[in-house]
Amino acid sequence: MIREQRNLILNTLTIVLLFVILWLFDRYGTDYQIRILNNIAVFITLAVSYNLINGICGVLNLGPNAFITIGAYTSALLTMSPAEKKISFIIEPLIWPLNVIQLPFGASLVVAGIVATVFAFFISYPVFRVRGDYLAIVTLGFGEVVRVLCNALQNITNGPLGLKGLKPYTNLWWSWGIAVLTIIIVQRLINSSWGRAMKAIREDETAAKAMGIDPFRHLLLAFLISAFFSGVAGGLLAHLITTISPTLFTFFLTFNLLMIIVVGGLGSTTGAVIGATLFAWGNEALRFVESPMQIGPLHIPGIPGMRMVIFSIILMVVIIFARKGIMGQREFSWDWIFSKIRSQRI
Amino acid sequence: MAQTFFHAQHLTMQFGGLVAVHNFSLKIDPLEIVGLIGPNGAGKTTVFNMITGNLTPTSGKIIWQDRDITALPPYEITRLGIARTFQNIRLFGNLSVLDNVMVSYHHRLESSFWHAILGAKKYRREENRIREESMKLLQMVGLDHLAKEPASSLPYGQQRKLEIARALATNPKLLLLDEPAAGMNPQETLDLARFVRNLRDSLGLTLLIIEHDMKFVMGLCERIVVLVYGHTIAEGKPEDIQHHPEVIKAYLGEKKHARH
Repeated sequence: MIREQRNLILNTLTIVLLFVILWLFDRYGTDYQIRILNNIAVFITLAVSYNLINGICGVLNLGPNAFITIGAYTSALLTMSPAEKKISFIIEPLIWPLNVIQLPFGASLVVAGIVATVFAFFISYPVFRVRGDYLAIVTLGFGEVVRVLCNALQNITNGPLGLKGLKPYTNLWWSWGIAVLTIIIVQRLINSSWGRAMKAIREDETAAKAMGIDPFRHLLLAFLISAFFSGVAGGLLAHLITTISPTLFTFFLTFNLLMIIVVGGLGSTTGAVIGATLFAWGNEALRFVESPMQIGPLHIPGIPGMRMVIFSIILMVVIIFARKGIMGQREFSWDWIFSKIRSQRI
Repeated sequence: MAQTFFHAQHLTMQFGGLVAVHNFSLKIDPLEIVGLIGPNGAGKTTVFNMITGNLTPTSGKIIWQDRDITALPPYEITRLGIARTFQNIRLFGNLSVLDNVMVSYHHRLESSFWHAILGAKKYRREENRIREESMKLLQMVGLDHLAKEPASSLPYGQQRKLEIARALATNPKLLLLDEPAAGMNPQETLDLARFVRNLRDSLGLTLLIIEHDMKFVMGLCERIVVLVYGHTIAEGKPEDIQHHPEVIKAYLGEKKHARH
């Protein structure tokens, strides 16, 4: 019990420290630093919720971009004022009742999560009828379906024009508040009896069934929770970049998330956090490789997409030399830190 | 006793043109230890898979405590009190030894996942109780000192024991063991037989056991069913089975074949 109390105190202190640092950045940091921090938080939320399905349940879901898209559009449509919507939807007017509703940002995020969850619920039955590669293809398909629908449903999503001029509501408090909340909830789930059952399904579904576990119910639970937080993160992302269009949420977004959790360590929330941080930071820090360069006599023109090449190389190196990623399936824990300190003393 | 405890009636399992099990019937009374033997490929594991719901028989019925469980999914059957181990060990390799056992309590959990996410007292109490009971089971099979190790790191014999502990944790009334003594040395096999008999006596379990080790089967089981090419060729007490001409033929071949 004393150990649990110690961990609780340390966790609380860590969160307080995190928010003190964020407060300092909020006050004294540059726009560039704040943007990177916001990106990191959104990707942490995305990666941690994606890892719940892929890492903990061991299901290769390739459709998180569907949930993110739905969350982004839902939230964006709810925060825009009726006047803004009227100006934006020039080809076809927005359908009722979306054209008259306006909600505060927080409420729009909750609705974004719920709509993504409802969508996940509807596709869960076909998705979990199959496993392995087949499941990957089905989810990939749904991801594409949503993207195509965003292009086609002119009177809801404004089609290829997208939604522009969203208010930049996403600040450090929203993005990191939700990232921390996601980590706490997902971790609690993973460490509970439900998480154990999900891992059992990952390890051996036949054996899990023989131990009285209904795989569908548990995969569904993970899928819905994952969809909820992906949807919320989609809403955050929309109000961070302030312009959304169907091209933003392609399979590449899914690929990036997959890269994050594989490099971090499939099945480790700590790994997902580390992976997301490295990715979001690297994505900005490596921007220079895409601009024209002069190395001695050699002139290299700017090649867009060069960052992805570097990320791909990192991914390959990790897969070859550290197949389980940075963390493997391990998690950060205070117990581990203290046992290290103790063994150092001896 | 009017109640049917366990009764498999005329089970047939066909895979395309292959009849894996033909017209298999077996009635088991409470507290019996029944052996299921036969040469490789006789359909013993197929019988297990039908009983536990991994396969739906082509025809026939399985009655468990007066209830037809033929078409139920495996997890429902486990919840009704039939547990099993696997011939080719199927542990949750990356989970700890303790977690492997604790998984089996999940289907009887009373708290909802909201309780778990919100860290409710009700859930934490349940979790603690499950941990204690799982440790007791591990103690029973002598694995408590390895509770935190990953299951895949255990040697073969201990993995078999963990499989039994995990199956016991589902709280079964009928336990199906698929080759529990495979890969064990004679001393371990002897200990296992004592352990299984003790399970029956202390927990009131009924057991159906597939095993190739004849000494083990003959010493432990009170009744034996012999399966050859999907057909039941003999059923009876161990001493009768040992002298049954059909059984000897199935295992050793006929005399004229054996001579040259």
